[in-house]
Amino acid sequence: MKNWNLKALAITVVASLFASCSAPPAQNAAPAKPRVALVLKTLNSPFFIEMQTGAKAAADRLGLDLVVQAAEREVDVEKQMQIVENLIQTGIKALLITPSGSREIVPVLAKAQAAGIPIIVVDTRIDPAAATAASVKTATFIGSDNYEGGRAAGAELILATEGKAKAAVLEGIPGHETGDSRLRGFKDAIKDSPGVKVLASQTANWERDQGFTVFQNMLQAHPSIDAVFACNDMMALGAIEAIAAAGKTGKIRVIGFDAVDDARKAIDMGTMLASVAQFPGEMGRMAVESAAKLIKGETVEADQRVRIELIKKAEAGK
Amino acid sequence: MKKWAVHLMSSRRAGTLVGLFLLGALLSYLSPFFLTTSNLLNVMEQTAINAVIAVGMTFVILSAGIDLSVGSIAALSGVVMANRLQAGWPLVPAILAGLLTGALCGLFSGVLITRGKLPPFIATLGMMSVARGAALLFTDGRPISGFDESLRWLSTGRLLGIPVPVLLTIVLYAVAIVLLNRTRFGRYVYAIGGNEEATRLSGVSVTLHKTAVYVLSGVTAAMGAVLLTARLNSAQPIAGMMYELDAIAAVVIGGTSLIGGLGTFGGTLIGALTMGVLRNGLNLLGISSFLQQIVIGLVIIAAVLMDSLVKKRQ
Repeated sequence: MKNWNLKALAITVVASLFASCSAPPAQNAAPAKPRVALVLKTLNSPFFIEMQTGAKAAADRLGLDLVVQAAEREVDVEKQMQIVENLIQTGIKALLITPSGSREIVPVLAKAQAAGIPIIVVDTRIDPAAATAASVKTATFIGSDNYEGGRAAGAELILATEGKAKAAVLEGIPGHETGDSRLRGFKDAIKDSPGVKVLASQTANWERDQGFTVFQNMLQAHPSIDAVFACNDMMALGAIEAIAAAGKTGKIRVIGFDAVDDARKAIDMGTMLASVAQFPGEMGRMAVESAAKLIKGETVEADQRVRIELIKKAEAGK
Repeated sequence: MKKWAVHLMSSRRAGTLVGLFLLGALLSYLSPFFLTTSNLLNVMEQTAINAVIAVGMTFVILSAGIDLSVGSIAALSGVVMANRLQAGWPLVPAILAGLLTGALCGLFSGVLITRGKLPPFIATLGMMSVARGAALLFTDGRPISGFDESLRWLSTGRLLGIPVPVLLTIVLYAVAIVLLNRTRFGRYVYAIGGNEEATRLSGVSVTLHKTAVYVLSGVTAAMGAVLLTARLNSAQPIAGMMYELDAIAAVVIGGTSLIGGLGTFGGTLIGALTMGVLRNGLNLLGISSFLQQIVIGLVIIAAVLMDSLVKKRQ
């Protein structure tokens, strides 16, 4: 009979070790600073880490208590939903979220709305039809114009290849509005250039290792590919490795999206042609600033665009 | 002492139950938000999907097998059901289509294991990939979203104040407990897990029973998919990734032995709740997501370690 005591103790000791040494001090009393939650798609990506940094700086400056949580993988909408549900319980005064599923996240946003929590959507829009169907009204959207970014990438490809290219496309997670918009922008940009053909277009789910594998296979199937547009830098960087593995470095032009540090290094080195820079740190900052305004009862603009910039070799050092 | 209390206190389950209560007590101390009705209901709702999938997984592990394909089967069943709903089928036939998909996947694995003599790890690893690919192919990679109230009710509805997913989970566990403890089928599953050869030699159709547990696993994976689709109002072909690990974790924390023949549904339910409570508590405390992953892994290891120490003493 003593045996089961051991097991109970083991489970609790392990959990409590971590819980107690990490519990934030302002837990039990009514928090002096209003609590605001930033729920990201994942923390496993430099893009979102920059967003977190920008948000934290703004929160410290404005006197807000910022909680940042994310699921392990961008594909896991259900975990993101659980995180939001749990955070609603802790009396957050605003929800800042980068949805892992533009439609799938709507049900939990409805719960936040029902709890009187203003919703600030960052980076990836929620599906307007789904939102209307669930009567969800978000306070504001802060993000880049991904469609324009896709167009800029497409225009750069046409410029760099003088209108003749056999291109491949690495897509993001289907259903993520960011990836869908970038793809649409890219396709619209190249549609009037008959010399630019898309030989293959597949998803690598935003991930670097998938970008490698998928592009490697595309090269196998279409050895004449001489250009690739990846809807984010992670996949582009994976593709660059695949190009190196195939011994074709320098022969295939790569355009990415996000202009994260590794991408800028690649552009400097010449292995990547260009990347569409977003400014996730600014998104984080603007999101927290909007939250501060909303908590005070002020209004914010419904749509706050953050700039994008095409980064090429000369400017990569910035 | 009442029979049910004695039953509950049997060593394998009691440790986990006490562990769960202690964990709950600790979390209520650390966070004022834990022990509220709405939070506890949240935890139960959040645990429901994994708890449902863990039912089939328990049967499989009791038979000394393993099923790595439940997450993928959930995705495939989910999109099949969604597709039928979009095609205009009423709710019940569409759900049955999803359950049938899960059953067929399980049947396929079961046959590979019993007739094909493939180790369960390999057969279900293959099925994991096949089902995932089938889901992606079937939907061209895109989610199927937007269903009407009748499906959504399975996630948002309440009967007698209890959320429907929780009620469904309780009913499923009740059925599973009866199946395991009061039918020949259940006894044979235990027996096969304990000593397959001896069971075969005593005239029991091991093939039939082993195949049946994989079919059950496929069906409960599909049931999980029904709840997930209702919860997200969307069936994604990429849904359910890594869900098999959560299901296995629930089963082993609950005291079921991975080598088969030993375990209970009560244990699995407690195991699933332990994980749900843990995740919920870590979110409430605002603990870094990276640290959360470590804590959950360590809890699983601790639970299984204790189990093997208990077994060594016995």
